[in-house]
Order: sequence, then structure tokens, then C-alpha cells
Amino acid sequence: MNETPTRQLPPEPAQPKRLYRARSDRVIGGVCAGLGRYFDVDPIIFRIGAVVLTFIGGAGLLAYLAALLLIPSEEDAGVATGETPAGRNRWLVVLGVIVLLCVAWPFLVGGGLLVAGLLVPVAILVAAGVLVWWFVSGEGPAGDAGDVAKRAILGIGVLLVCGLISIGGAWAAAAGGETIVAVAVIVAAVVILAGAFLRPVRWLVLPALVLALSAGTVQAAGIDLEGGVGERDYRPASAADLQDRYELGIGQLVIDLRRTDLPPGDVPLDVHVGVGDVRVVVPDDVCVATDAHVRVGELRTFERSNDGVDVDLEDRPDAPADVTRLLVKANLGVGSLRIGHSAADLNLDHGNFDFGPPVPDELGRNTACAS
Amino acid sequence: MRPDLASLVAGFCILALGVVLLLDAGGTIDLRFGGFAPLACAAIGATLGAVGMTRPR
Repeated sequence: MNETPTRQLPPEPAQPKRLYRARSDRVIGGVCAGLGRYFDVDPIIFRIGAVVLTFIGGAGLLAYLAALLLIPSEEDAGVATGETPAGRNRWLVVLGVIVLLCVAWPFLVGGGLLVAGLLVPVAILVAAGVLVWWFVSGEGPAGDAGDVAKRAILGIGVLLVCGLISIGGAWAAAAGGETIVAVAVIVAAVVILAGAFLRPVRWLVLPALVLALSAGTVQAAGIDLEGGVGERDYRPASAADLQDRYELGIGQLVIDLRRTDLPPGDVPLDVHVGVGDVRVVVPDDVCVATDAHVRVGELRTFERSNDGVDVDLEDRPDAPADVTRLLVKANLGVGSLRIGHSAADLNLDHGNFDFGPPVPDELGRNTACAS
Repeated sequence: MRPDLASLVAGFCILALGVVLLLDAGGTIDLRFGGFAPLACAAIGATLGAVGMTRPR
């Protein structure tokens, strides 16, 4: 029996282990999944690390973006393995190294916090751009670094357009064009619905949603630009000089009644402000009854205060017949209302309305009312 | 031809928001954050969910 001698073939040289962004099991760009595969560790550990580092100074976000640019994806593995790093987007490798150095810089040098302060917003903007483009077009952060960068730029462009739509919608709603904005939103919705049966127009979803949300926020906040923008300081001499209604769109409004000759009995004071702060200063011998509402903000009258979202404050004390009772009816969108006897925190003589943090007992007590 | 589910869901959500805005503008309802915030969150969530589920992979 002849035995054929077997010749031991020399073992093939081991291929160096390469790091790729994983195609499967990816959440965003496959960086953490690729790292997990490379180090044979559960990728969730890298994901948790990235999230934690993102909330601690934003380093996780910057590092992830750098990895997204530097590490090739598995889709390109056939091309990437046959080329040297120098032949594959060399400039992007250099860019990635620069980003990594910038990530390390703030942690190595104390004065680098300024760099971190600039880089983190940029990184957030790039990440937001990638995510927005992913939402709008369905193209995730796959492909080579150039594709990712291109999608980030397109996404940032979409964000800018949405920002302009948001500002325009909010301004139109605040300036009295709520009906026009609402009709525009409904028309866009009808077009999207019709497109569902004919030809989808998904690109219209995001602008329409942004327009509806910005206008809705303004309407829910009750912001109305009627009354103008700026600082208003009213010091009426008598009850006859009081306006039927004090209105301000955005700004600060001070109504100082300490030198106003007010008759006994009920005196109405109606105040409407869109966004801003209102201060009503009354003499010690005036009783104040309040019916105030603020959509978002703070209401303070003498010893009482309330703050938050959709805040009401109602206080209707009785007053003796020979005492003035000021009936304040206030409606604010976003801001604060303070009613009291003291104006120690207001430099009224110099037109400088300093609405700083409240001082304890600064507003005095509503003692003129009947106990 | 089957209708595009994402466009349908998004269209109805945006239509609901538009109708609420119109009712508030006309004074029929008084829109406040307590009512608008859940509606906005529901609209965003439903739209994102529909777009995500119907996205070609």
C-alpha cells in the first residue's frame, strides 16, 4: 500500500485584523458595532460609553463623528482593503486626526475649554444635519466619509430652511396672521394626503410640521405683537389719565401709580403683554384685586406668587368704601407680572428697568384691603 | 396602487394641527400649552413612527 506523502503547506500569513463600521447591527453609523466586533466585546458597552461621554463635555459626540469619518464601512471593505490609507481619502484622514486632536486638547490643556465650547456646538450641528437628512431622504450615515459629509451639509441646509419657516410662521402668527398660517398648514396637509394616493411628497412633511408647531407654540403662548416692542413707562397723574388697556407686544412695561390721584371705589386696570415683564407699583393706601393669567412665566402680587405653565392668580379682597380698590386684569404670554408697593429694584428715574431676582418682602403687603 | 402610509399618517397629523390652529384663530377654542403640547408630541411621534416603519431598507 502506497502512501502518498503529504506535504505540509506553509501557513498563510495571518491577515491583519481590520476595523470597519459594521453594516449589520448598526444604530447610527455602525461605529460602536464595529468596535465591538473588533475587540470581541458587546457593542452596547461602547454605546453606553459614547452616550456618557457625550453628556460629559460632548467628547463622545466629537469622537463618534471623528470615527465616522476615519473608519471605513463594511460596504467599502473590498475597496478599502486593497488600498493603503494614503490612497483612501487622505485629506479626510488628516481631517479626522485634527478632530481627534481637538477632542483631546480641552482635556489636556485647561485653556482649551474655549475650543471645546466652539467644537461641541459644531459637532452637534453636524450630527443634527446627518440625522435630519436621514429623516428627510432615508439615507443614513453609510458610505465613505465624503458621503457622510455631503449628507451632513444637506441636512444642515434643511435645518436652516426649517429655521426660516419656523421664524416666519411664528412672526406671522404673532402679528395677527394666525388664520393665514392655519390655512397654509391645512393646505399643506391636503397636498400630502393627496400625494399619498398619487405621488408621495414626503419632503413637504417636515416644513409643514415645523410651520404648524411654531405657529401653535406662539398661539398657545398667547403672544401678540400688537402694542409694539420696547420699554414702556407710564406714570398717570389721575384716574382720568389711565388708559382703558395697556398693551405691549414684546418688552418691559412699568405702570407707576404712586403719584396718581385715585378716587375711592373700584378702578380697573387692563394689561396685555405678549412677551416680557410687567411691573405695577401702587401706593400703600390702595387695595389691589388681581385676576391674572400667564401662559409661561411668573405672577407675584404682594405675598402671593405662582409660576410655571398656564398659571392663574386670582385674588379678590374687599376694600372699605373710602379706599381705592385697583382691579388688575392681566394677560401675559411669556414673562412675569409683579404688583406691589415698592419699586426698590426699579431705577425708574434713569429709565433702567432692572427686573432682577425678587427681593424678599420687596412688594410690601396688601394692607389697605378690609381684613 | 397602495397609498403611501407615511404620507397618510403625516397628512392627517398635520391636518389635525391645522384645524386646531384654525379653531384657536377663530376664537372657537382657547389653545393652551396643556392641550397643545400633548397634541404636538403625538403628531411628531406618529409621523416619525410612520416614516420609520415604511422606509425602504
